[in-house]
Amino acid sequence: MYKFTAIVVLLIFNLATPGCLTESIDDGEPVKPEQYEYTDDGELVIVTYDVYGLTDEMLERFENQSGYEVSLLKLDDSGSVLDHLLQHKGLQVADLAIGLDNTYLQTALDNNVFWEHNALLNNISDSALQPYDGPLAVPFDQGYICLNYDSEVVDGENYSVPTSLWELTSDEWKGKVAIPSPETSSPGRAFMTATTDYFAHDEDNQSEWTDWWSAMSSNEVIITTGWSEAYETRYTGGYGEWTDGHVGDAHIVVSYCHSPGVESWYNGNWTKSAALDISRSSFHQVEYVAAIEGGNLDSASAFIEYLLTPEINSMMPIENSMYSALEGFDLPEENGYRFNSVVPDEPANVSSATIAKNMETWLEMWNNAMVDA
Amino acid sequence: MLRCSGLSKSFEKELFSNFDLELEPGEIIAITGPSGCGKTTLLRCICGLEKPDSGEIYLNDENIGNTETELRGVGMIFQKPVLFPHLSVQGNLRLGDKTGDIEKALLEVGLADFEQRNVASLSGGEGQRVALARALLAEPKVLLLDEPFSSLDEDLAMKLVKDVRAILKQRECPAILVTHNKRVAEEFADSVISM
Amino acid sequence: MLEMKFKFSNSCAVLAYTLLVILPLWLALDRLIWVAGPNPIDWLSSLERNYIAQGVVQFTFIQALLSTLATLAIGLPIAWQLGRYKWPLQSLTKAILTMPFVMPSIVAAMGFLHIVGRAGLNIRIDESTWFLTLIIAHAWFNMALVIRFCEPVISTLDPRLEEQMRLLPAGSNKIRRFRNLWAPLLAPSIAAAACMTFVFSFTSFALVRWITLGENTLESVMAGIGSSAGIKGYMVSRNEIVLGSSMIQFTILLLSLVLMSWLQQKRQSLLPQVSEDIVKKSNPRGWYVIGPGLIFALSPLIAVFGASFRIRNTDSSGTNYTWETSGWEYAFTSSSSMTSAWDALYNSLGYAALTLIIAVPLGWILAQTILDLEEFNPKMARALDVLTMLPFAISSVMIGLGVMLGMIKIDAEFFYSFWPTPALAHVMITTPFVVRIMLPALRSIDPSYDECGRTLGIPKWKRFIQIQLPMLRGSILVAVIFTLAMSLGEFGASWVVTRNSDWTTLPVMIDSLKSIPYNNSLTAPAACAVSSVLMGITLLLFTWAEKFRPARDGGMF
Repeated sequence: MYKFTAIVVLLIFNLATPGCLTESIDDGEPVKPEQYEYTDDGELVIVTYDVYGLTDEMLERFENQSGYEVSLLKLDDSGSVLDHLLQHKGLQVADLAIGLDNTYLQTALDNNVFWEHNALLNNISDSALQPYDGPLAVPFDQGYICLNYDSEVVDGENYSVPTSLWELTSDEWKGKVAIPSPETSSPGRAFMTATTDYFAHDEDNQSEWTDWWSAMSSNEVIITTGWSEAYETRYTGGYGEWTDGHVGDAHIVVSYCHSPGVESWYNGNWTKSAALDISRSSFHQVEYVAAIEGGNLDSASAFIEYLLTPEINSMMPIENSMYSALEGFDLPEENGYRFNSVVPDEPANVSSATIAKNMETWLEMWNNAMVDA
Repeated sequence: MLRCSGLSKSFEKELFSNFDLELEPGEIIAITGPSGCGKTTLLRCICGLEKPDSGEIYLNDENIGNTETELRGVGMIFQKPVLFPHLSVQGNLRLGDKTGDIEKALLEVGLADFEQRNVASLSGGEGQRVALARALLAEPKVLLLDEPFSSLDEDLAMKLVKDVRAILKQRECPAILVTHNKRVAEEFADSVISM
Repeated sequence: MLEMKFKFSNSCAVLAYTLLVILPLWLALDRLIWVAGPNPIDWLSSLERNYIAQGVVQFTFIQALLSTLATLAIGLPIAWQLGRYKWPLQSLTKAILTMPFVMPSIVAAMGFLHIVGRAGLNIRIDESTWFLTLIIAHAWFNMALVIRFCEPVISTLDPRLEEQMRLLPAGSNKIRRFRNLWAPLLAPSIAAAACMTFVFSFTSFALVRWITLGENTLESVMAGIGSSAGIKGYMVSRNEIVLGSSMIQFTILLLSLVLMSWLQQKRQSLLPQVSEDIVKKSNPRGWYVIGPGLIFALSPLIAVFGASFRIRNTDSSGTNYTWETSGWEYAFTSSSSMTSAWDALYNSLGYAALTLIIAVPLGWILAQTILDLEEFNPKMARALDVLTMLPFAISSVMIGLGVMLGMIKIDAEFFYSFWPTPALAHVMITTPFVVRIMLPALRSIDPSYDECGRTLGIPKWKRFIQIQLPMLRGSILVAVIFTLAMSLGEFGASWVVTRNSDWTTLPVMIDSLKSIPYNNSLTAPAACAVSSVLMGITLLLFTWAEKFRPARDGGMF
């Protein structure tokens, strides 16, 4: 009986002084090319979230061309992709990661989860390379994050088109704005980053960006885990109306400045969604594809090459609803795609270095702002 | 033949100590005493379901004190007929001996044609007869009986007592009966021991 | 006294149980505490300090409470009618009304979603309707508990007791009779049903995830952030949230376990001994209760099945629906981005079989060990008994996290490529149930049977096969079927562990299909198709179990 109690006490004590067997992820340097050790097993495992552009046809074409067998590990959002990379570092579970953007990339780089690919690339546009041009991650599409509004509802009668972000904290917008969470979603994080710049330059209200978020929290802003819940399920101005789970309680949503163009493209040159181009409220987002350290470098590099070929990448606007990462390719003109897409005059200006330095703190500040409301 | 010497057992209080017993081939003895005095425990020690604190048990000059119940060759009839409900009479008998002559065994206990009967439909007396037939099919060297007649009504019990004694005598199977009923003891056994 | 030989198999069983069930949880806790720090105050306060966890505790408690009240309100009238009066096809009616309990939660989620959603009644307007739907869905699940616990008491009450009551002033009218006769009689059963309903609603995941957008219970929040946990220096607050949530859950579940066992004793004494030769009348007006009850029980299942064939066609002129099988085809074809339902079926059945092979023998031996220990060391027996009940106090998401984080710590590379790994979670969840089923069954076997077999010279292994096994046949079958059903329908733990397309199970696949965004009109019907498959298998298992259930147990299974 005493032996038993002694063991129980020991075990509880062990819990309180934890983890002699556990170690942190990585303190070292990225793996050098000479140290590469991997097996080419003829497979390509891609970890991603539900990216529209990775259609079955596109993947099958790659399989036929390259001979590699593709399988997708589908997670919820950019946050889940990052989690996965960190959790499975060195375990060779996946070969390629798609879906981190320039607000998520730095954490991945800091933790050495990627290694250099050996794909042959050319003609990538300067704007796509501007946030990061190193060998560990390759941009494959880009776009501007900004607010969209339902122009049928926001018509000047019941709701007026906002000209500043502070207007969204007023009573008329209570519970009518949907924003994906910066903790889990890349558009969400991009938008949050934009607000840090917006309020640093806001002459009317000398307020902190966190004050605005607190006010939005009090004003019952809808925070979703991912972009699709915000845009598809909550937003009234988009295609979500036609989906089964649609709820439709938000008239303003964080999406892309070219989202109205996408709507127009699919609706045969008509859209009721419009982009809200308020200075410094939009953000230039670049999305990356990267080879995961320890994975099948050959198949990963082959896919990166494939994704950046003109044939495939020029189709980004149509297949993936994003701008191409290559130089010289614009949105199609048909169906009012280009016409209804807005290119912001003055997007938020936040350097990659600033993001790298501050993102962790920003996320904490954001959380506290939302909680303290 | 069975020989017990110096058997002692206590459980919270002393049940029996230094108990000796000798059973000749073909002999039937009865042990009487009030309830709770340890008679059942004594039987259980002899067949191996319990271990005595001290003492030895010899069966045909072999010390069986440390042998498993299954291997001792000592049969037992319990107070209530322990018939397995998922088996028929025949099935129960087969547990005693897979290849034995079921018909003959049933005839011996006076239950001819009972093979297919459902054990739940048997009366108390019939049940004990089946239990006896089953135990005998296993060809025990000694048969122990733990008050098998006490749950039956008087007349039935006495009839059964006579029949069982006759069967055992015919087979020359030594037996020990434990009972609190003096009359049953005297009818059944050659000699009676009091505890 | 029989001398105890602690057999090799017993020690193996206890060791296996400790390794399989206790160890992963231990390691997971260790890892979480390593990241989050050992201060429980931090863990609990993190639930208020973090935006994603804000309001979760309140929501969890409130919805659980309201669900319990709703369940009693719906279940008691049904139990009353069933117990008091005669009904045609009595056992079938009762089976239908109690069947929701064994349905996988994800199937129920799909069912209710399609009833209130745009494809159905289209009343899914705002938070208040979602909340109401959630409460009703919980009541749907748990009314079976009220019926199972209360109906036997109502049904077998000696009519003379009631007749006597009517002749006394304390029973002169219906209300008095209820207060003085029925209420005290039924109180423990109602309390037990309420307690269990509270627990199940408290740890609700699938329903909350799909019906109440944006709201979380402790369980669903843990599932959502679990993938971020266990990494040093990364999202420390999430580890704190997981620890805080599991602490709260553990406490609530433990309290309810204690309460249940106390109530169990009270109920045992009240379960009447009267046989069911009481003549019952039929009650035509009772159809106003039983009829809607049956419809209520069946409607989500019908909705799911129907929705699997209903394809939405949308174009600029509007929306219309057609009836086709393309949803089923979509579900059963595989592509690079999605496994086919065949693979999910194969995985589900494989895991269920594996769980069965491990959990049933393990649980059985543990139950036997407890019984054997009771003879010579009752304290140890009690300790082992409590140990086998430990997983009851741990929710399925926590078990999933236990497997995931615990396995990472032992040997991540091995476990991530080892197909049976998710089955571990299923074993952890089902073994306690097997012990709970086998223990009373083993107890009920009169020891004289075994002793008699020994005196007949039958060796132990033969006694096991020829005596013990046949006598326990009913309970073994219930244990087997229950284990299979639980494994097949398991959602929380599987969702956390099988984020890998090779291992996806039917419930997780349903969730994945329904989660696919964008305007693909086949994903929802496909999700319903897979739900229908899961539903069908569960119904099959349920009908088999009903055949072998011991008649008058008044218990949960």
